[in-house]
Amino acid sequence: MLLLKVENISKIYGTKRGAKQYEALKRISFEVHEGEFIGVMGASGSGKTTLLNILGSIDRPTNGRFMLDGADITALNKRQLAQHRIENIGFIFQDYNLLETMTLKENIILPLALHGCKVQVMEERLRKLGGDLGILSILDKYPYEVSGGEQQRAAACRALITNPKMILADEPTGNLDSRSGRALLELLTQINRTYGTTILMVTHDVFAASYCQKIMFIRDGEIYHELYAGDDKQKFFDSIIDVMSVLGGEKQ
Amino acid sequence: MKLTTLAVRNIKRNFSKYVMYFFTLSFSVFTVYSFRALIQNQYVNAAMTYDVRYRTMLAAFGVIIFVFVMFFLISSNASFIRARKKEISMYSLFGMSNGKIGKLLFTETMFVGLAALVVGIGAGVFFSKLIAMILLDITLAEFTGDIAFTITPQGVYLTAIPFLFIFCVMGLSGLRVISKFELVDLFKAEKVSEGKSKGSILVLILSLTLIGTGYYLAATSGSDVIIGAAIPILILVIVGTYLFFWGGLPKVLSWMKKRKTKYYRGQNLIAVSALAHRMRSIGSTMATIAVLSAVATTAVATGFNLYQNIERNTYGILGYDLYFYGGQEELLDDVFSAFESYDVELIGDYTTERLQVKPKNNILAFDGNVEYYNPEQDYFRVYSQSVCNELLALSRVNSKPIQIKEGEAAYVRSFWSNVPGMTEEIERAIMAEPLQFSNQEIRVTSFLDASFISFGAVHTIVLNDADFTELMAAGDIMGVDSSGEPFDQVTVFKYNNALKAGKFNRKVNQILSGNVGKYRSAYNHYTESLETFGLVCFIGFFMSVVFILMTASLLYFKQIMAAEEERHQYEMLRKIGMDSQVERRVITKRLLPVFFIPLVIGILHSIFAMKTADTIVFSNMIAAENSYLVVLAFSGIMYGIYAIVYGVFYFITKRQYTRIVG
Ligand SMILES: Nc1ncnc2c1ncn2[C@@H]1O[C@H](COP(=O)(O)OP(=O)(O)OP(=O)(O)O)[C@@H](O)[C@H]1O
Ligand SMILES: [Mg+2]
Repeated sequence: MLLLKVENISKIYGTKRGAKQYEALKRISFEVHEGEFIGVMGASGSGKTTLLNILGSIDRPTNGRFMLDGADITALNKRQLAQHRIENIGFIFQDYNLLETMTLKENIILPLALHGCKVQVMEERLRKLGGDLGILSILDKYPYEVSGGEQQRAAACRALITNPKMILADEPTGNLDSRSGRALLELLTQINRTYGTTILMVTHDVFAASYCQKIMFIRDGEIYHELYAGDDKQKFFDSIIDVMSVLGGEKQ
Repeated sequence: MKLTTLAVRNIKRNFSKYVMYFFTLSFSVFTVYSFRALIQNQYVNAAMTYDVRYRTMLAAFGVIIFVFVMFFLISSNASFIRARKKEISMYSLFGMSNGKIGKLLFTETMFVGLAALVVGIGAGVFFSKLIAMILLDITLAEFTGDIAFTITPQGVYLTAIPFLFIFCVMGLSGLRVISKFELVDLFKAEKVSEGKSKGSILVLILSLTLIGTGYYLAATSGSDVIIGAAIPILILVIVGTYLFFWGGLPKVLSWMKKRKTKYYRGQNLIAVSALAHRMRSIGSTMATIAVLSAVATTAVATGFNLYQNIERNTYGILGYDLYFYGGQEELLDDVFSAFESYDVELIGDYTTERLQVKPKNNILAFDGNVEYYNPEQDYFRVYSQSVCNELLALSRVNSKPIQIKEGEAAYVRSFWSNVPGMTEEIERAIMAEPLQFSNQEIRVTSFLDASFISFGAVHTIVLNDADFTELMAAGDIMGVDSSGEPFDQVTVFKYNNALKAGKFNRKVNQILSGNVGKYRSAYNHYTESLETFGLVCFIGFFMSVVFILMTASLLYFKQIMAAEEERHQYEMLRKIGMDSQVERRVITKRLLPVFFIPLVIGILHSIFAMKTADTIVFSNMIAAENSYLVVLAFSGIMYGIYAIVYGVFYFITKRQYTRIVG
C-alpha cells in the first residue's frame, strides 16, 4: 500500500532574491510503500538531512508537495503540523536528543504527554515497548547515567511509542560502536517486521545500509540511483560499495 | 591579533549579553555614587546638622548598600563567566594559554567596568539633585528652597576607587575560573548534571517548622518580649527559608512528579522536570531573593506606614492644631493678632476650665488588687456634656458629639487603659463600681475615645449637664488646687493649613514658649516626627528600590544564562511535535515559579514582620481598634508595587528567554 508520495520537492536555502541561493534539493519525486525499510545514502552535503527534515515536517519545501496516507502534508498549518508530527512521525537522531532534565522514562512518554494521553495508556505502551527494547531496568535513570547505546535505544523507544506511520532516522548509528550499532539496526529491523512500521534511515555506513530493503542514493539534491536488496546479502553489500565509490561519499 | 582588539570585538559580538551586564554594573555604580553624593550634599548636611544620629544612620546605610552591591556584582559576574564557558574553552582549545585568556577577560571587564563607571556616575550626578530633593521633601515639613546642581568630587573618587578595585577582582576571578576547570569539563558543562537534589521530607518539615515557629513568635509575642525575640525570629525564618529552597521545594517538586495524571501532561512534564533540574543551582539564589524581598518590603512598608501615620498620629495624640493652658489674660490677644498678621484662617477656638472632682469612694481597683484610683492622690477631670461637645467639635479627630443620661457618666479612654488585652477587664471594673459623691452616685456606663481632652489628667469623665450643675452646687467639683490657686484654663484652636503654617507657628512659639503652663502645636509635633521618620522612610524606599532592581535583575541573569543552555532542548521538543502554544505555556511554567515563589515567600515573611512592627510601634501610634489591619492595608499598597515591578521583570525575562530558545 502506498504510504508516502513525494512530488517534485525542491528546497532552496538563502534569501529569495539574495545572491547566495543554494538549491539543496532539486525536484525530487519518489514513493514509499507501507512497511518498507529504506536507506538514504549520499555524499556529505548532498541533501539527505534536508530531505528527512522536510518529510518529518520540521522544515518546509520551497516547491512541490508530498502526501502521507493520501493527505497533503505541505498544506497543513503550523498547529496541524505539530499534531501530525506527534501522531505520524517518529524521529531518531544521531545525537539521541534526549532531554537531560528528564529520566529515560519521562523522555520516552513525552510525545504521548504532549498529546494528552491517559496515564494508564502511557504506562502500558511503555511497559510493552520497553520490554521489547530491553530497557525496562534503566527507565528511571537520567540520560547521562546510561551509555550511548542505551540512550539511542531509549530514543528509538520514544520514536515508537506513538505508533507512528513512519520512522525517520538520521544516522542513528553514527555515534555508536559497531556492536551497539548492530544491535540498533537489528532492533530497527525487528520493529519494521513486527509492527510493520515504515522506516527511512539516512546513513553513511555501508554495513548499516545493508539492513535496508531498498537504498536511495542522492547526489547534489537529486536521486541518482536506487538499489534493491536481493536474496544475496553479500551482493547487495558489494553493489552499495560500488555506487558509493562513484559518489565518493564512502566513510568506511 | 592584539588582545585589546579581540576584547573589543568580543564585546561587540556578545552585545546582547553585555547589555544587561553593563546595566547591572552601571546601576551599582549609580547607587553607590548617589549615596555618597547625598551624604556630602551641603543642603542635606545643612538640613540635618543638628542631629548626628541621622548622619550616622545614613552612613551605616551606605555601608549596607555597598556590601550588598558587592555581593550582587560577584554573583552576577560568576553567572556571566559561566555563560561564556564555551567561548572561553574555544580559545583554550585553539592553544591560547590560560594566562592570555585571563588577560583577555581582564581587559574586557575593565573596558565594560570603566564605561559603567562613567555612565553610573554620570547618571548619579544627573539624578543627585532629584534624590536630595526627595530626601529633603519627605523629611522636612516645608522644604521650599532650591537645591543647586552640584558635582561632588569627593563622592566621585570615593565611588570610583572602590569600584576600580572591585572590577579588578572581578576581572581576575575569571582567571581563577578557567584555571580551576579542565578543558573537557568546559565542554561538558551543559551535559553534566548539576546534581539534582531530590529533597528530603525531613528538611521540608524542619524548614516549615522553623518558619512556622518564627511566624508564631512574631504573631503572638507581646510588646514586652518581642524586642528580645527579634533576633531568634530572624534566625529561625532565614534558616528556614534557605532549608526550604535547598531541601523542601525539591521534595515538593518530586511529589508533584508522583502525581502522574497531572505530571504526565506535556507542559507540566517539561516545566517541572526542568525546574527540578535547576533547583540545586538556583535554590540559594531564590532563598536569598526571598529574604531580601522580605527585608525590602518590610523596610518600605514600615517607612510608608510611619509616613502615612505621622499626621494621624499627631492628631491622635494632640487632638488639636494648637492648645495651651494658663496665661490667657495676657497672651490670648497676642495669639489672635498673630492669626491676623500671618493671614491664617481661624476656624474656631474655645476656652474652658480644667476642673477636678474627687469621688468619695475608697480605693478603686480592678482585678481585686491593682488600684487605679486612690482619693488621697488621684482625681478625675470632669466636663459637662456641652463643654465636652464643644471640645470635640474643635478637635481634628473625628468624634461625634455625645449624649449622656442623668446619673450616668462617660469615661474617656486614655493611654493607661489602652493596653491591648487589658482594656476589657479594666473597663468592666470601672463600670462595676459607681462613683460616690456628696448627694448622689453616678455610674460609668460608656466610654469615649478622646484621650486628648484629658489635658494632663489620668482619669476623665463627662457628665450630664444637670448632674454637673448639681455637683458644682454641692461643692464636689473643684476649681482651685490645695493652695487655693485656680487651675489653669485651657484654650484650643482649630485653623486651616495648620501643618503648613511654619511662619505662624514660629511666631506662636515665640509668644507662648515659657509664658504658659503648657502648650503644644500640631506643627511642632508633626515636624519633629517627620524628621525622625522621614529619614527612616527615605532609607526604606531607597533600599527597596536598590534591592528590588538588583534581585530582579539577578533572576533575569540566571534565567537568560539558563536559556542559552536550554535552547537545544526546545529545538528537540519542537521536532517531536511541541506546537508553539504548548511552548509558550512551557516557558511560562518554567519561569513563573522562579519569580513568583521567592516573591510570595518574601511578602509572607514581611506580613509577619509587620505584625512585629505593629506590636512594637504601630499599636501605640495608630488609634484604630485593630492597628494591624491598618498597617496591612498600607503595606498591601507597597507589596502591590513590589509585585508589579517584579512582574515587569518577569515579562522582560520571558520575552528575552523566548527569543533565545525560539
Ligand atoms: N540552514 C541552511 N542554510 C543554508 N544552507 C544549508 C542549510 N542547511 C543545509 N544547507 C546546505 O544544504 C546542503 C545539504 O545539506 P544537508 O544537511 O541536507 O546535507 P547532508 O546530506 O545531510 O550532509 P551530511 O551527510 O554531512 O549530514 C549543504 O550543502 C548545506 O550546506
Ligand atoms: Mg546530515
